[in-house]
Amino acid sequence: MAAMTNSGGAALTVDGVSKTFRVHHERSNSLKQFIAARGRNRFDEFYALRDVSFEIPEGQAFGVIGHNGSGKSTLLKCMAGILRPNTGRIDVHKRMSALLELGAGFHPDLTGRDNVFLNAAILGMSRPEIAKRFDEIVAFSGLEQFIDTPVKAYSSGMYVRLAFAVAINVDPEMLLIDEILAVGDVTFQQKCMEKFVDFREEGRTLVLVTHDLASVRNFCDRAVWLEHGRLVDAGPPADLVDRYTESMLADPDAAKAVEGARRGSGEIRVDRVEMLVDGQRVFRIRTGDRVTFRLHYSARERVRNPVFAVKIGALGGALVTQPCTRDTQQVPAWIEGSGVVDVEMDAIPLLKGPHVVHTEITGFGRQHVFDHIQNAVRFDVVTGTPDESAGMVTFHPRWMIDGDGVAPHSEMFD
Amino acid sequence: MSLRTAVAHRNLLYLLSMKELRTRYRKSILGWGWSLLNPISQTLIYSFVFLIVFDAPTPVGDPSGLETFPLYFLSGLLPFQFFSMSVTTSIGVVEGNSSLIKKVAFPHEHLVFSVIVAQVITLLIELGVLVVALIIFGQMAIPWFFASLPLVGLLMVFTTGIAFALSAANVFFRDINYLWGIVAQILFYSSPILYTPDLIANDTLRALTNWGPLGSFVRAFHEMYYDGRMPGLGRWAHLTVIAFGTFAVGAWIFNRLSPRFAEEM
Repeated sequence: MAAMTNSGGAALTVDGVSKTFRVHHERSNSLKQFIAARGRNRFDEFYALRDVSFEIPEGQAFGVIGHNGSGKSTLLKCMAGILRPNTGRIDVHKRMSALLELGAGFHPDLTGRDNVFLNAAILGMSRPEIAKRFDEIVAFSGLEQFIDTPVKAYSSGMYVRLAFAVAINVDPEMLLIDEILAVGDVTFQQKCMEKFVDFREEGRTLVLVTHDLASVRNFCDRAVWLEHGRLVDAGPPADLVDRYTESMLADPDAAKAVEGARRGSGEIRVDRVEMLVDGQRVFRIRTGDRVTFRLHYSARERVRNPVFAVKIGALGGALVTQPCTRDTQQVPAWIEGSGVVDVEMDAIPLLKGPHVVHTEITGFGRQHVFDHIQNAVRFDVVTGTPDESAGMVTFHPRWMIDGDGVAPHSEMFD
Repeated sequence: MSLRTAVAHRNLLYLLSMKELRTRYRKSILGWGWSLLNPISQTLIYSFVFLIVFDAPTPVGDPSGLETFPLYFLSGLLPFQFFSMSVTTSIGVVEGNSSLIKKVAFPHEHLVFSVIVAQVITLLIELGVLVVALIIFGQMAIPWFFASLPLVGLLMVFTTGIAFALSAANVFFRDINYLWGIVAQILFYSSPILYTPDLIANDTLRALTNWGPLGSFVRAFHEMYYDGRMPGLGRWAHLTVIAFGTFAVGAWIFNRLSPRFAEEM
């Protein structure tokens, strides 16, 4: 549907855009300092965007991905007209609405009704337009009962719902969205998502700036990838997300070694833990990867019948698995000196999110603890195969649906 | 920024002004009563100082024949208060809406316009009260209220110019906010509000008081409301030049600086 309504025109063109910020060494926020510095502030130019060019085709869902600090938000603010690029130009050919922060213009002392009118006016709507859509906005927010209450009495959830309801009903031809899919409760998020799908089907243009690779992969027709303010790559989202993920896996900065808490009697200890995929040390893994956890140990003295264990779970959540060498009857008679213990796992079923490994070396009875490291390694699981939008692990589901017309790879949005 | 965008976004201007008016006296028991109590209390204080402490002669209205210091004082204080409150509030409103400026693209000048609109509504109400007081003291001031509307218009243009310049500069240097507090005091005492210009012996100083930008506005209000006569052509020409000149400079500064608000806040 979206593809069919695409008339080939551009909804927005970004042409050679660069944006610098001044990083002040001594910020003169007062006249005294300014005059003392003779009008010259000492600062460095920091390139948030460097010569970025691309085109957003009309009627498509367009994704912008990149790490924190890659310039995503600056780009979005330039597109929204909040920041002015230093060089280059941005041409907006459609009536646009940007959702950067919900309820930015709300005044706590005004009622929900007044704030709807004010916020919609800030977003560029005329009075008759707002009046026409007012009931729709209130219905979408589900706040009919509270619409004449000052918004300072609202819960944060109510606040966000009303703000989103206004923003989405401004009726733009193009919508810029910055990471706001994560607001409200699950039901409301679902409602937002449905609204975005409607938007697409009506042939409007959506621009999504997000960390959430899954939503870019599932939702977008095209995406660009920013890194250090430069456009690294552009293309269909599935390939782009794959390439982006590859680059993340190789990025050592991603290793977030949490200072582990160690306990135990210490005759034998785990010195460090590595994660390996295809023999390469990695810091992020994908769902479905074959992963080896390598425990480097050293023993001060000869240790009899040591049992090695790893415990893997969601960060701050439940343990998902805790295999140990006694379960597989691989307990050596004794160990001394140093060496490595590998535990290899086929097709890791963990779904995306932060995870943690704890390690443990105990005696055969598992009562005496030689060494236990809480949070030995923190790692992220990123979108792999299969991908599921919620849940903790995948059981590699295969769906079978009666009837015709549902091919296994049918893309519902097309 | 231009009048065209102001008209295109008149709905925003209307709603921002309403917000300005509705939230001004929130959580106060007297509410809008304060906007009248304030000038009344000032009048009482300064009348005491002028008439009793300094024992100064009360100015006589010509041709109205009025000889009531509080009325003289009020007809100069009200336009001055409009001016100083508008500038103070504009500085605060631009600074206070940083979250909006950083997150939404909208015409920033409407923040200043909305303050001016809200303040001018207050001024008109206060002038209405002054007219009632003048009638009680025997001066039929209703025609003068209407005759003064172009003067109020010029004062708005002048005030908007200053508010533009200072509210934009304050984004870059927060000193402006504090500096303005001092400057407003100087302007108050250097304008002929609690004295008449002819009390000043020094010729140069008297001319400055009479024809300084703000003094000139104050004199024009005196002439209409207290004296009951039309200001001369020279006065009108002077005020028109001052108003539009200040506006042009202020708007230019605001236009130059406002695209950088989002990154400087």
